[in-house]
Amino acid sequence: MERILSLRSDGLKKLHQLILGDARHFQLIYLSSFLVFGIYSLGWELEVTRYLIIAVSCVLTQLVGARIVGASPSSWKSALITALGLSLLLHSSALWISALSGVLAIGSKFILRFNGKHIFNPANFGIILCILLTDQAWVSPGQWGSDIILIYFFGAAALMVLLKVGRIDTSLAFILTLFALEATRTVFYLGWGWDVLFHSFSNGSLLLFTFFMITDPVTTPKSKKARIIWASGIAVLSFILSQWFFVYTAPIWALFIAAPFTAIFNKTMKGETFHWIPTSK
Amino acid sequence: MKYRIIALLLISGILSALQVNAFCGFYVAKADAKLFNNKSEIILVRDGNRTVITMSNDFKGTVKDFAMVVPVPVVLREDQIRIVNRNVFDALDAYSGPRLVEYYDENPCQPVFEYMMDAVPAMARTMNKEIDVAEDFAEKDLGVTIEAKYTVGEYDILLLSAKESSGLKTWLTQNGYKIPASAEEVLEPYIKSNMKFFVVKVNIDKFLESTSEYLNPIQIEFEHERFMLPIRLGMANSPGEQDMIVYAFTKQGRVECTNYRTVKIPTDRNIPLFVQPKFGDFYKALFDNAYTREAKRAVFLEYAWDVSLQNPMKCDPCVGPPPMQKEFQEAGVNWVNSWGGEPVFFTRLHVRYTRDRFPQDLNFQVTSNTERFQGRYIMTHPASGEFDCDAGQSYLYELQNKRRKEVDELIAMTGWEGKNAYNYIHEYSNRMNDERRNEVLFPFIKLPSGPAGMLLVFLGLLATILLIPERKSSYSRKTIE
Repeated sequence: MERILSLRSDGLKKLHQLILGDARHFQLIYLSSFLVFGIYSLGWELEVTRYLIIAVSCVLTQLVGARIVGASPSSWKSALITALGLSLLLHSSALWISALSGVLAIGSKFILRFNGKHIFNPANFGIILCILLTDQAWVSPGQWGSDIILIYFFGAAALMVLLKVGRIDTSLAFILTLFALEATRTVFYLGWGWDVLFHSFSNGSLLLFTFFMITDPVTTPKSKKARIIWASGIAVLSFILSQWFFVYTAPIWALFIAAPFTAIFNKTMKGETFHWIPTSK
Repeated sequence: MKYRIIALLLISGILSALQVNAFCGFYVAKADAKLFNNKSEIILVRDGNRTVITMSNDFKGTVKDFAMVVPVPVVLREDQIRIVNRNVFDALDAYSGPRLVEYYDENPCQPVFEYMMDAVPAMARTMNKEIDVAEDFAEKDLGVTIEAKYTVGEYDILLLSAKESSGLKTWLTQNGYKIPASAEEVLEPYIKSNMKFFVVKVNIDKFLESTSEYLNPIQIEFEHERFMLPIRLGMANSPGEQDMIVYAFTKQGRVECTNYRTVKIPTDRNIPLFVQPKFGDFYKALFDNAYTREAKRAVFLEYAWDVSLQNPMKCDPCVGPPPMQKEFQEAGVNWVNSWGGEPVFFTRLHVRYTRDRFPQDLNFQVTSNTERFQGRYIMTHPASGEFDCDAGQSYLYELQNKRRKEVDELIAMTGWEGKNAYNYIHEYSNRMNDERRNEVLFPFIKLPSGPAGMLLVFLGLLATILLIPERKSSYSRKTIE
């Protein structure tokens, strides 16, 4: 009887270790569930080939890159997270663009570096470059719809990941700043009803960006204060881009522009370096 | 099994059955005539920042009462406003509408022969318009500036800018436009967003001069980054559900909505033959069902195809003549010439909106998605003749299963009740020999025909019943021990 119990607790420990030992496991599970949710509940196209091509190109680029620079072998998980991000956000009319997005995203991690850290959020870089370089790639901000259930789903998932990673300050600074700005303009200045505002803020793409893209611990500033300033800056920029330049995917562009500033913040404001797998002290 | 296409049936009539009226703007009546705005049609052309919007006019009422207010991002020049022929809408509707396709089965017991191809043209719509006398615009200073004033075709057009909504509302009221009470709250945001107001009335003299018996669609063109349709104003005088069909043309590919989900309408489904006479009702029910399933907040894709003149295949099958250079020109697709020109991609979107589910105006983007799509429903006529050969009997068996699936699918798609379905499914069962009939009843077990089969069924049932108490008693005996 005791043997059975100890075996069970061993199994639980392993499961516990697997899920909680590395925040990326969390992210992988959640992002995959969003993809499944999109396909089965939101009527997305089941583009298995596209997802596979993105995953393979990301992981291969990661493995090749890691081999060259001698990086951690566990980094393929990060590559897979990037692949899921690309699968969820970037659409293209040709499969080679999907492959290109993976190579560009992960490639940027090894080439565009400063002070031992990569500059751009890989998925963000892949998306922007594909849109700029080819005229056959796009982001569909409307694909998630705006349903309350979605907010709940995202919120719960995101919170769990963020509490593990400890970058919830970034998300909150971004979303609250953006909300304050949009509320001021849309509701108080222009005079639209609150439902117009809430419609924008229940958009799945915005939530995905807020909780999963902008929070990437490696490309956000190390100091908490710096992170808050940086994330608020992204909010201001996306507000301007969306309100006056009618860019529907404004946050993605804002993050791309803001990414290089992380290095400056890291120079001027000190903070702890992030490690995916907690280091024993 | 080999199928052959015979006839293609289109329904454009169904869309008129979906209840008709208002587009981006709202109709305002001077008299208390009840104006219901339930369906509108829009042609959208987007090329870079150039946008052409053509608004169909299904106005029902006295012409002098017709008025329309549409928010536009810039003050339009006279050459940017045109009237177009109503036929272009009918042509585009007929061409891109959901289609019913017929196939004919071949009798496996008979030799194959060729069928003819035929197409049934779209139902033409009738229009009745009354003619009356219009009034002139009066000018008052209420913070409202008349930026431009034109007469185009049978319309008197004003481009207004305003400083505040109550001034604009007063101005419109004083000038004979009956503004719904709820419109003011929407006018404010448009004024503050620096939008102008495109205000239209009918010039009766011009209308009487024209040969047309109904009001022509108005087309406007402008250059602006924003690619959107203002639907909020249209909700002001109709709080209920309104349908809008958008025919969009681009060079690159599909147009999709950026702030609502764009969902494909269910397509390529096999439906029973008895649906044919009520295909319009069928599609209406299907749309209702899909609309409800998507929580009433999605935009539906009904058609997407590269319709460039140089692209030979524009639909599969085509339900009407494809749009030609004339239609393209009329719609504002100015990059097409007689030898083709740049590609033209046609997207048809269908949105049913209400105030509570669609708080924001519709924003669009052009994507490079060139994947084809069409709403297509298939019905299959059974083969005729004798089915006395073995293959014929197998065919009847398959037919019955296929029809059962068709009915299931129909119920799932439309929410209809399968009242007459039994007769449809079993229409050919008396032409099956006993062996096949049993196979239909018990598809997995081959039973001997006649009384022997009946006896076997009886014994089987008896055995099943006997098994249950037997196991129970053995269990109770064990527990006693």
